[in-house]
Amino acid sequence: MIETLIPAMTEVCGADGVITDPAELRTYECDGLTSHRSIPALVVLPENAEQVAGVVRACAAAGVPFVARGSGTGLSGGALAPADGVLIVMTKMKKIIEIDPASRRAVVEPGATNLSVSKAAEPFGYFYAPDPSSQVICSIGGNVAENSGGAHCLKHGFTVNHVTGLEVVTPAGEIVWLGDGTGAAPGYDLLGAFTGSEGTLGIATKIVVRLTRIPAAVTTLLAAFGTTGEGGAAVSAIIAAGIMPAAIEMMDALSIEAAEAAVHCCYPDGAGAVLIVELDGPEADVEAETKAVREICEQAGATEIRAAADPAERAVIWAGRKSAFAAVGRISTAYIVQDGVVPRTALQDVLDRIAELSAAAGIRVANVFHAGDGNLHPLVLFEDGKPGDKEAAEELSGAILDLCIEHGGSITGEHGVGVDKSRYMPKMFGPDDLDTMQMVRCAFDPRGLCNPGKIFPTPRLCGEVPGVRRGPHPLVASGLADLL
Amino acid sequence: MTTQPSRPATGGHTGPAASARTAQDALAAACADLRPADPADAVAGVLPSWVASPATTAEAAATMQAAAGLGLTVVPRGSGSRLSWGLPPRSCDLVIETGRLDRVIEHASGDWIANMQAGVRMERLAEVLGEAGQQLSLDVPTLAGGDAGTVGGVLATGMAGPRRLRYGTPRDLVIGVTVVRADGRVARSGGKVVKNVAGYDLGKLFAGSFGTLGLIVEAIFRLHPVPAATAYVTRECGTAAQAAAAVAAAVQSPLQASAVEIDRRAPGAPVMVSVLLEGNPSGVPQRVSLMREVLGDGAGSAEEAPGWWGHGAAAASDGTLIRIAFWSGALEAVLDALDSAAAAAGLEPSVGGSPGAGVLYAAVDSLSEPAAVAGFVSALRAAVGRAAAAGFPPARGSVVVLNSPPMVRGVVDVWGLIPGAALMQSVKDQFDPDHRMAPGRFAGGI
Amino acid sequence: MADPVEGRDPVGELRSLADDCVHCGFCLPVCPTYQLWGEEMDSPRGRIHLMTQVLDGAELTDATAGHFDRCLGCMACVPACPSGVQYDQLIEAARTWVENPRDRPERGTGQDADEYHRTLRERVTRAAIFAVFPYPRRLRLLAGPLRAAQRTGLDQVIRRSSLPGRLSPELAAALRLAPPPTGRIPALPRRVPARGQRRAVVGMLTGCVQGVFFPQVNTATARVLSAEGCDVVIPNAQGCCGALSLHSGRRSEGQRLARRTIATFERAGVDTIVVNSAGCGSAMKEYRHLLADDPGWAARADALAGRVRDFAEFLADLTGPGGQAAARHPLPVTAVYHDACHLGHAQGIKAQPRALLRAIPGLELAEAGDGGTCCGSAGVYNLLQPEAARELGERKAATIQATGAQLLISANPGCSLQIATALAARGVSMPVAHTAQVLDASIRGLPVASLTRVTR
Repeated sequence: MIETLIPAMTEVCGADGVITDPAELRTYECDGLTSHRSIPALVVLPENAEQVAGVVRACAAAGVPFVARGSGTGLSGGALAPADGVLIVMTKMKKIIEIDPASRRAVVEPGATNLSVSKAAEPFGYFYAPDPSSQVICSIGGNVAENSGGAHCLKHGFTVNHVTGLEVVTPAGEIVWLGDGTGAAPGYDLLGAFTGSEGTLGIATKIVVRLTRIPAAVTTLLAAFGTTGEGGAAVSAIIAAGIMPAAIEMMDALSIEAAEAAVHCCYPDGAGAVLIVELDGPEADVEAETKAVREICEQAGATEIRAAADPAERAVIWAGRKSAFAAVGRISTAYIVQDGVVPRTALQDVLDRIAELSAAAGIRVANVFHAGDGNLHPLVLFEDGKPGDKEAAEELSGAILDLCIEHGGSITGEHGVGVDKSRYMPKMFGPDDLDTMQMVRCAFDPRGLCNPGKIFPTPRLCGEVPGVRRGPHPLVASGLADLL
Repeated sequence: MTTQPSRPATGGHTGPAASARTAQDALAAACADLRPADPADAVAGVLPSWVASPATTAEAAATMQAAAGLGLTVVPRGSGSRLSWGLPPRSCDLVIETGRLDRVIEHASGDWIANMQAGVRMERLAEVLGEAGQQLSLDVPTLAGGDAGTVGGVLATGMAGPRRLRYGTPRDLVIGVTVVRADGRVARSGGKVVKNVAGYDLGKLFAGSFGTLGLIVEAIFRLHPVPAATAYVTRECGTAAQAAAAVAAAVQSPLQASAVEIDRRAPGAPVMVSVLLEGNPSGVPQRVSLMREVLGDGAGSAEEAPGWWGHGAAAASDGTLIRIAFWSGALEAVLDALDSAAAAAGLEPSVGGSPGAGVLYAAVDSLSEPAAVAGFVSALRAAVGRAAAAGFPPARGSVVVLNSPPMVRGVVDVWGLIPGAALMQSVKDQFDPDHRMAPGRFAGGI
Repeated sequence: MADPVEGRDPVGELRSLADDCVHCGFCLPVCPTYQLWGEEMDSPRGRIHLMTQVLDGAELTDATAGHFDRCLGCMACVPACPSGVQYDQLIEAARTWVENPRDRPERGTGQDADEYHRTLRERVTRAAIFAVFPYPRRLRLLAGPLRAAQRTGLDQVIRRSSLPGRLSPELAAALRLAPPPTGRIPALPRRVPARGQRRAVVGMLTGCVQGVFFPQVNTATARVLSAEGCDVVIPNAQGCCGALSLHSGRRSEGQRLARRTIATFERAGVDTIVVNSAGCGSAMKEYRHLLADDPGWAARADALAGRVRDFAEFLADLTGPGGQAAARHPLPVTAVYHDACHLGHAQGIKAQPRALLRAIPGLELAEAGDGGTCCGSAGVYNLLQPEAARELGERKAATIQATGAQLLISANPGCSLQIATALAARGVSMPVAHTAQVLDASIRGLPVASLTRVTR
């Protein structure tokens, strides 16, 4: 089947832009989440929107599924092509097309890395605000697909708040614009619906992003606490004081241990938790807020507080946090990075429950999280060779998601659903919720060829006309809807 | 203007021949608060047959189901303050009013979110949230009569005020919605945590959808602190060029302006430029003095907003209200285009809005000649399109007639050409295959 | 039949190194070939994936081997890796698989061992390179006529007929761009005594390319060390340290050259061996890995590796706060310092040369805006992968040019040749000097012009 597509693809992308060698294809079998693998039948590397459209049209004509991939750093298996599908790799489309400082906009290609946009804007005094931990390599196109966040989205918002226009190739192979870059385009906000749709609605080929003024002042505080409970109390007090830090991150004792092993970040000895609070904005405001945050941390029982004012000092403080995921490799042979969200006020309760579950299962959990917005990243550690350990870790990891749902949170704050969590979607949403979401899918991709098998556990038949009455929403029936 | 009840839509299960009596019984069975419509219930001149006011999500769902079963066309209504916006519906049998869905379900102040029903009035919401020193950061312009609308209405029209520069529009602040679909089923997306990427974001899709996809019954928003200190730095500029330079300087400064507004009563009149600074009491005064320097000659400051703030062109409740969206760097060109289009049409529109965020409003009085207004709109549209001709995206702006007298509406292209219109039509077909939800009100005939 | 994979990785060490990779992709943006082509297989993550496939028993196909060959070995990915993957060890192993087809795993009985077919031209080039480069005398013989040709206008003729010219226009171009003839540079004595109070006795590696093409760098190195109070011992029997072979998968050749170098410096009786060429220093520090399985040499290799210091590393230590013995005279010039990969990435030496240079009054140090991406020289890479190397050279030249600097400082002869070639192709004539030459000029109070004369 695929063989017959190769000439067409070669015509569109050139011989250099089509990969057919089995060993080479296999290097595309997974993204940043290696527990899910699928070798694509074909990989193409288009160089412009017309080529993407040509590839998609050829796939559509042949009824072959296709999946777009950016830098392959996703953590939910979102960029996996099925074995009979074409993987469209966007890494050659990485131009920064335009920086318009007067309008605070940049027009970029999807393969451009997140950081490259900020670097291109820097000479003008601007940066691109969403900053996923992988910003050195993750692509803007991937960010759009996942609606990526980052440590600083607490104050500055997510990808969807910073993308104002998209040129997309629809699943039918047409090139259309969603939004016009203004952020106030008339019509349905398809731009908003597309952002975060995990590549299931089409392929972005040009992206207009909003640029943010580089703040006049930035201060980073590192506060050490005896327990995560004390740290959490400090977070609550900061938020309650009406202070909106750019970022509030917390690490528990085990993740501190891992970070120390990896990057020797020299966090205070014996800390049960460290809190990183970053404040940015106009100088006098930051100064006042820094003072207030310091006082709050002291009152909450901080054993040590350090402040960094210049980029080098800040880098030292952030080094531990930024290395945390990979650093856990130093204290455990294998681990699962979980991504769940709870209302911030439920953090301590959830952390306590995680500790209980961890103790009961005999599985260690290192907690690294965006404390300001309740986004947990429990790192569930296991020994690769130890019988039953992996299964126990997976079970615990799943139980953590159940806890998040139980507390009114979400099964994913930034990594996406992908293939990894589609089975949890029915726990968070009812059948009608999922059905309604998939109406959007049907509008864009009635044949379900664009990144199939992601997000939704069961696809909706797009030809299906909504039935007459299938009874009220289960939550309404149970009288719960009004309480939610 | 029609004053007749609009014809029942086709495609329903009871068919057009169904007696009004049967329909009324079915609706009444679904919604306890059902009444025959009166002339005040007309939607842009189209008089519905009934007005239903469900008090719960379940009741709203039952009402929508009943309407679906009867094949009735439906227009959702909040306070009705902006119900005349867009185009008149092709048909409207039933108005579903959200006034009784007026509970603030949860205000989790520690989490900075609030969950509320769609009919909650913006003023009331501000009071409730204000008790905890919090706010929904949408300073929607208050129309004559002091009506800023309901949460559902603000969401459905995508309306935002000056502080959109800092906080964005409803789509940026909504984190969860519950909607009733055209077929009566209840669907929810998002949730009550700010950070959440599970599933498609229906909140974005329904924001600014003018009631054409379904009925918004609940919404969850992220909140912000009511700033401890606020100040306005204002300057009068003699020319558009001066004003554009002042706006650019204010927006590009690192002083974190929450809003940068302009106001000009008529072509040729001075342009007022005002910057809102918010923050903590020890930081704002310093920023005020810096911002006075940034704005240049004659800039003054005050704790109170200038009199025109929030009452400029955007708050015009009669006449023709036009929204111009553009890349903010093109401000001077847009102001020039406004002037030449107005001069050519012989109109004297007032202009105001949030140029820092790339949004301006032009208000033309209700006595203006419809053909002149139409000419003004097309000239403006051509100019905004032309200014954007180079590069990507192909058109870097839009001109939309939000509100206009019926005579103007008849001769002007209200929505203009919309990129992605075909996809929007597909979305509409999926959510509302029988086209019963506010048919024809929206862009592209949706 | 023996399990070929086991033969390749008898104790599973490589497998375990490869398994350290969590596929996060942080190595991608720093990888020069990924920057060029954006393809997974030409990134460290992709190459590790390919190695894993081979370790799992997959055939080492031409395509796979080609991706190993295309790795510059710049090691930018090593410090970039948050998981601490030892890519240097992995790629070195993979290169030996490519270099020695018979070591490669076979798949099942009755099946021919797969053979990676390098092109004829490539094989001849490799053979030529490794027959010449590690042997300073041969290299000198070859370089002489090329330069003569350049001077006498026989250039074109020679280019068409000479061995390197025929094999690789890049090689010829590089050789022709090399600095003026060596005749005027006096040969180094076996021992250069410390000026003033003696603070250390150090050995000095003269290197092959450095010694032949940049003898003045060795002279400057010796003078600076001496001025800073070092007795400099320069064994005359030294040859190639083995770096070129080692970094190209010619392990046994590299081991042979390493043993000889170890023996040479053992005889010299020095505490420290100062190396002014980044690639050589990096290789010598790795001797302990190279000879770990050689019972007769493991301990000696370990001991020697522990005494190897890069020139800048050693000097920055010696002349740290208050430790400067020789006065620095002003050198009013804006210079840009280029991080040689084997210094910056492989040895982690970035701050020291900059500190030494900043200590020179009047010298302004600019930074290239590419975060230290490889210039494409990478040992003999520019001879084997000329197109990729040329593209990388062009990029590097553009970023260097953009700094507006008047002088390029590089601590590796290959980089100096490569960047000078690329700059020349852009019509830019920028003098290139080694850190040691700049320090030498400052200590001796020479004018800035002396540096531009040295290289052009």
